[in-house]
Amino acid sequence: MTDMILEKAVSAGTRNTAQGTPSAAQPPVPEKRPPGPWKTAMKKFMHNPLAVTGLIILLIFVLAALFAKWLTPFDPTHGDLLDSSLPPGTDGHWLGTDELGRDIFARLLYSTRISLSIGFLVALVSVVVGSLIGAISGYFGGWVDTIFMRLVDVMNSIPLLFLNILILAIFGSKVSYMIMILAFTSWMSVARLVRGSYLQLREMQYVEAAKAIGVSSWGIIFRHLLRNASAPIIVNATLMVGAAILSESALSFLGLGIQEPDTSWGKMLSNAQEFMLVDPLQALYPGLCILIVVLAVNFIGDGIRDGLDPKKSTIPQRRLDKWRKKFSKSGV
Amino acid sequence: MTEYLIRRIIQSVLVLFLISILSFALIHAAPGGPTQIFLSPNLSAEAGKIQAHNLGLDRPVPVQYFIWLGNLLQGDLGYTFKNHIPVGKILWPTVGNTMVLMGAAWLFSLIIAIPWGIYNSTRQYGISDQTSNIIAYLGFAMPTFWFGIILQQYFALKLGWLPLSDMYTMGKQGNMLDLLYHLILPVTVLTLGFLAAYSKYSRASMIDVLDQDYIRTARAKGLKERRVVFRHALRNALIPIITVLGLDLAVLVGGAALTESVFNWPGMGRLFVQMAVAREYSVLMSITLLVSVFVILGNLLADILYAIVDPRVQLGRSGGASS
Repeated sequence: MTDMILEKAVSAGTRNTAQGTPSAAQPPVPEKRPPGPWKTAMKKFMHNPLAVTGLIILLIFVLAALFAKWLTPFDPTHGDLLDSSLPPGTDGHWLGTDELGRDIFARLLYSTRISLSIGFLVALVSVVVGSLIGAISGYFGGWVDTIFMRLVDVMNSIPLLFLNILILAIFGSKVSYMIMILAFTSWMSVARLVRGSYLQLREMQYVEAAKAIGVSSWGIIFRHLLRNASAPIIVNATLMVGAAILSESALSFLGLGIQEPDTSWGKMLSNAQEFMLVDPLQALYPGLCILIVVLAVNFIGDGIRDGLDPKKSTIPQRRLDKWRKKFSKSGV
Repeated sequence: MTEYLIRRIIQSVLVLFLISILSFALIHAAPGGPTQIFLSPNLSAEAGKIQAHNLGLDRPVPVQYFIWLGNLLQGDLGYTFKNHIPVGKILWPTVGNTMVLMGAAWLFSLIIAIPWGIYNSTRQYGISDQTSNIIAYLGFAMPTFWFGIILQQYFALKLGWLPLSDMYTMGKQGNMLDLLYHLILPVTVLTLGFLAAYSKYSRASMIDVLDQDYIRTARAKGLKERRVVFRHALRNALIPIITVLGLDLAVLVGGAALTESVFNWPGMGRLFVQMAVAREYSVLMSITLLVSVFVILGNLLADILYAIVDPRVQLGRSGGASS
């Protein structure tokens, strides 16, 4: 979808240069080709220091998760009881070992793998499901809308953590189940959002035009409207990654999520709390990882949101406000 | 007003009804099914069949649902699977404990957050405002239970200033001072999350109001800034905050459940987690419903309060804020 839009922008650009006067001597000549909305967003994103930092940090974590095998010689599941609770830095155990003698750094790396994949997959599934439901109920309205929105109301009225625990207790907690369950309990915000924008968009004239030339309802929903509703969906999907990582860690911490021999940050924290008296440092690392990754993801989400928002300029709000104040004080 | 009230209440009851159907359906989808919920495990096969018949477990699921609902409405929450204790007996004592913890955290965060937000709105981008921004970012990204563990390690284990966990010291049950002493850490943990959100909301709504014409008029007629902020702006700025208080209840309850587990607080959330591990479905269902009632009541109250406080809200025509 992005490619298509970019392509259009490019083709429009080449047409302009072919017709217009591209001489560089004239100062007021605009850019060679007008940048498309995605390109502008990209540019704005890249000029946002927080967002870029977040992206770099996230990339580091993703790479660490992918190449975990090569980054540590230790096996995260096997430990030597003779080496239990070593302090950081002994015998090549950078962060020491836990109470079973397992290398903490190796466990962190492999936890990153599970926590990140749960975060991304949950966001993906719930955004797809939420968009679909939101699109259908927003576009068609009527009783379909009523049913789905009541369902959203119902699910929003049960505190998320309780709902997750209830379903986990019933169906058990494999990694694949956890992804399904977390997705099942987090599609509601996307559905509401998409429904809202579809309610607005379906009144547009181009929808009328599309109907007039005989485009089917599904064609309108997926080809014409989805494209225009995609900006908030992307932002929401990004923020959902962070939320899913937090939920996973909470559930695993409570002992209901990831089970041995798998490991995740939340699982490590629950372990750490148990052995708090023996090794207080153990709790620090997984928590820091969660904090840093979720912060990074949230920064990226904010960056994308600001990038896609045409009202937001690259100038920070703070400076704008200062100028406004100065302007109003100088007496109008 | 009455018409609006009645409509909202009916709406809430409907949502509750649907929640009960959802949780009932979930439990019936569980491996092992409903027999686990109602039958004692010590029964022989024949006795089990008779018991199942007596309890109506051989009837179609919708019929079973209405029987269960009827019992529930009469206050009968069922029995635990393992020891056959009435659910109410273990559930009700924990509710009060959760209320104490949540109420304290809620009050505490409001007392700090609203004045802080107001202060920040008058000094935008100052040091205090930036601090609140950073805390907000951290508060949204940090697992609350991790913050709890870190506080435990530092203040309870390392410094020994505060109790590690539990609600009372052994043998001091019911001692008010001891309770307050034990409340400090969990309330701090819970407050951090809400502090950020509430102070941001109150800052935003205050800035909104301070931009309005009547504030300019108040300033133009020469009122002192303090009078403008506290008498003119604050009243209207508080209105949107009320709705936020209601909406956040669901999050607050969830946060409380995690905090209770970290600090071994004998509340509803910890009971829920314990019972989830033990797969006591009847307790899980009761708590889910109870918590939902709590959240829905909170939303309803917030809506009603909003309507009472703000005369601009058109009653009855908006059709409820939730749809």
